[in-house]
Amino acid sequence: MAVAGSSQRASSQFLKRLRSSLPWYPFIIINALVFVLFNLVPWFSMFRYSVLKTDLLSTREFVGLDHFVRMLTDAKLHKAMLNTAWFTLMYIPLLVVASLGVAILVNRPLRGMKAFRAIYFLPNITSVAVLALIFRRFLSPRPDGPLNFLIGLVGIPPQKWLIDVYQAMPSIVGISLWEAFGYFMVIWLAGLQAIPNELYDAAKVDGADGWRLHRYVTIPLLRPTAAFIIVIATIGALQVFGSIFILTGGGPVNATTTVVYQIYNEAFNFGRFGYASALSILFFLIILIIALIQSRYLRFGDDVY
Amino acid sequence: MSVSETSSASVEKPNLIRETIIYILMAAVAITTVGPFLIMLSVSLTQNIRFITFPIELIPTPMTLENFQTLFARTDALRWLFNSVYVAVISTLGGVITSSMAGYAFARGNFWGKNVIFMLFLGILIMPDTALIVPQFVVLSRLGLVNTYTALIGPWFASIFGTFLLRQAYLSIPRDYDDAATIDGANLWQNWWHVLMPQVVPTMATLAVLRFMGNWNSFFYPMIVTSKSDMRTLTVGLGTVARSGGDAGLDMAGAVLGFLPTLIVFVLMQRYIIRGISLSGVKG
Repeated sequence: MAVAGSSQRASSQFLKRLRSSLPWYPFIIINALVFVLFNLVPWFSMFRYSVLKTDLLSTREFVGLDHFVRMLTDAKLHKAMLNTAWFTLMYIPLLVVASLGVAILVNRPLRGMKAFRAIYFLPNITSVAVLALIFRRFLSPRPDGPLNFLIGLVGIPPQKWLIDVYQAMPSIVGISLWEAFGYFMVIWLAGLQAIPNELYDAAKVDGADGWRLHRYVTIPLLRPTAAFIIVIATIGALQVFGSIFILTGGGPVNATTTVVYQIYNEAFNFGRFGYASALSILFFLIILIIALIQSRYLRFGDDVY
Repeated sequence: MSVSETSSASVEKPNLIRETIIYILMAAVAITTVGPFLIMLSVSLTQNIRFITFPIELIPTPMTLENFQTLFARTDALRWLFNSVYVAVISTLGGVITSSMAGYAFARGNFWGKNVIFMLFLGILIMPDTALIVPQFVVLSRLGLVNTYTALIGPWFASIFGTFLLRQAYLSIPRDYDDAATIDGANLWQNWWHVLMPQVVPTMATLAVLRFMGNWNSFFYPMIVTSKSDMRTLTVGLGTVARSGGDAGLDMAGAVLGFLPTLIVFVLMQRYIIRGISLSGVKG
């Protein structure tokens, strides 16, 4: 600003930059508006409301960090965190094994293979409400209910499934597996098909065969795919909600209350929007930390080749 | 998928017994995925069925549409269906067009703030949507937007993932096209609409199918932002049917109604769905 000339040059440069920039903004304006209204503003309001006690109607008072202190002693929250961990720990290994197994099964040039793959994908295009409508009936505790009848054929007595404290969560895991394995099968297939045939040929020249081909070629080369699958499946598992909301309502006796369900509960059943906002922050941090740790230790790396 | 057909061919020798075992295993998996849908269809066409009991006749006698009539008479199912179609179509069209526009700007534009905005968009991608649902509701309720189509469609009117996807597609087109268009006197909009966009139509179709399915099947968000029955989408409405404890015939009629549209889109657009998963999957 000291010398008139340089400031003039700067401003004319600025104008030039502005003139070349302006025509581009209309292309991103809608994206930006949607982003501001539905992401940025809620993001800030999450932090603002986390220090307020409010039901959005009459009460509204500042409580500082009380909500975060309360998390330490909130037994329901702790139970919800344990439930979420329990769900994830059951779901991920089963999902990885089932989807990889099916992918290996259908990764061959046999007749009708495409039809089988499409059929396996069907549960994945189904909405959670349809899944819930079907499985609420299939998991009926009646002795002549579909699943009880089928296990009866091999001599297992009828089970209570969704209304049993110990079986409810495993039942939800089963439904989630049924829904998701086709999707992850497709990702495994993409990984399997990216392995060059020459590597198998070379390994065979070196004397590898059968299982050892898979041990030394397939598995190491699938590592980036496995890492990707575990990370996104975990992020999805931590957010499980719809099937629990419709099928069990978090019960019986909180046996299927997950963190997301608990956030929903606090906000929409108890009207504690401040505490629910604080829990949202906690939940976001948990997901972020788990995803970071996984990405670090599972290594997406390209160094496998 | 088509590339793949041969990839493991050299690993295994054809063998009749082995092939038979593989087909049996595949059929077993197929029965567990298709079986529930067949029973759903069968029960929805059965008269007066309170519970699904096994063993079951797969072809009901007499066959009836009574359950569907009851569903439409007792619930707002037709209205939910309309809402779902309306919301999914507008959301998909809107999301794909805005992604195409923004993708073009990020691939070709050189504007002030481009990198900052791009990084902000990247930031949103890592935010799990369920963590943001309560704050979104708070904001929407303060704006008086609960129970409106604006709330249902709004977040779907732009797609960060789609913007990235299309940016990549535009980047793969040589700059020569832009140069030629500029020499011919095309402005940025004409260059986008007439020259570049026709070349990314397959990517836009992939995105459209993924968005449509995602929107149609979404549950948590539309449930939160609607409390009136006549504003619910089909998925949310069917959720209330599932919790209401009607008879099995009614439940399965609802399930068929919710399943058919996605099945039709899947059968017609399967290629694009698989491509979309591979794109998002392989590239991480």
